Amino acid sequence: MRRASRHYLAFTYSLLACAVAHIPAFAQASPATSTKLSVGAVVVLTPDFCATKLGMAEVGKAVCPELEAALKTVFDKLTSVPEVPKTAEARLVLIPTFANTGATQGRWAFSDRDLDIYLQWTAKDQSGKTLWIQTVEGSATHHMGNVFTYRKNIKLIVSDAAKDVAAKSAIKISTAEQIRALSR
Amino acid sequence: MYSSTVRTTVLSFCLLLAFQFAFAESTFPDFPVTSARKCSVSAENKGVTVGLTPVEDSQRQVTYFRAQLGKKGFVPVFLVIENGTGTDTLLFDKTKITYGTANSSIPAVQIGPGAAKLVTVDLIPLIGSLVAAQIAAPASIVRQNLMKKEIQSTTLAPGASASGFLFIPIDKNSPRAKITLRVPIGKAGTSETFDLNLMF
Repeated sequence: MRRASRHYLAFTYSLLACAVAHIPAFAQASPATSTKLSVGAVVVLTPDFCATKLGMAEVGKAVCPELEAALKTVFDKLTSVPEVPKTAEARLVLIPTFANTGATQGRWAFSDRDLDIYLQWTAKDQSGKTLWIQTVEGSATHHMGNVFTYRKNIKLIVSDAAKDVAAKSAIKISTAEQIRALSR
Repeated sequence: MYSSTVRTTVLSFCLLLAFQFAFAESTFPDFPVTSARKCSVSAENKGVTVGLTPVEDSQRQVTYFRAQLGKKGFVPVFLVIENGTGTDTLLFDKTKITYGTANSSIPAVQIGPGAAKLVTVDLIPLIGSLVAAQIAAPASIVRQNLMKKEIQSTTLAPGASASGFLFIPIDKNSPRAKITLRVPIGKAGTSETFDLNLMF
């Protein structure tokens, strides 16, 4: 009897271990580099980009400040501008656009909902030539929420997905060979 | 009595978990990636190879997308891009891809800054988000899977490759006409671009 219980316990533990392994790791990582890149960079956050919505979710409003904060950890000088600069103000111009956004819908208050944000980054040099293009996916999962918590949960999931896509963007940008070459 | 209840509860929980993982793993299988040259159609230019495999069979569409995309007016096309230049870093921007029916006038290989002047108006740009929205209902896992499987813009270092699906609009009420797909490739840090044209 005890032996059988032990088997059940072991089986349950192994399943729980599998479950933990299946939970997607939430990106809390900071850029791989410990020192900032010595490049004067400009990030173009247009009013349209920062006003992007997905249904009730104000995705752009959440993403813009997170991107600015995350990129400040990558470059020693970062300026945020509302449109692509016409003159060669910076050695590097970073332009994010929403490639895609989408959310799933759960059936119950405790059902999980996923939000995926795909950002396409284009990095241009002083002369306007494209150095680097990359798509970064950020995501988050939260409960749907009930009548009282629905709106709050939307804000939570958007905020987490924005943080995730910003952190992943910072890593991709800081490790891009074409961008790192500018700071040498 | 108590032990039996606990045992049943634990067993049910384990079975539920096992079923959940088994189902989750088999929901949307990945499309098998092959080299560009082994695709149904391929083209090569300046050391870059692009291959495509259209998935037209509705059963296969259900397998990979849980939707009959042909009935919704789209043909899924699996695209593989390989940078075999050995020295150049290349730029693939999916927003620059255009498509058209086979009789669309497509100029020969375009190189250099003047290339933009040669672009014809017969080809239509592909816009990923709108395509996904037209195929599947918003907030569905089918749509989420379409987005995850879609090819994304990227920078290709020498020897690197990228792959994923494009969803090309077709006339669902008549037999599919031949489609020409134009995939522009740029060289990083220059204004040099060239196209690879594929007909299927």
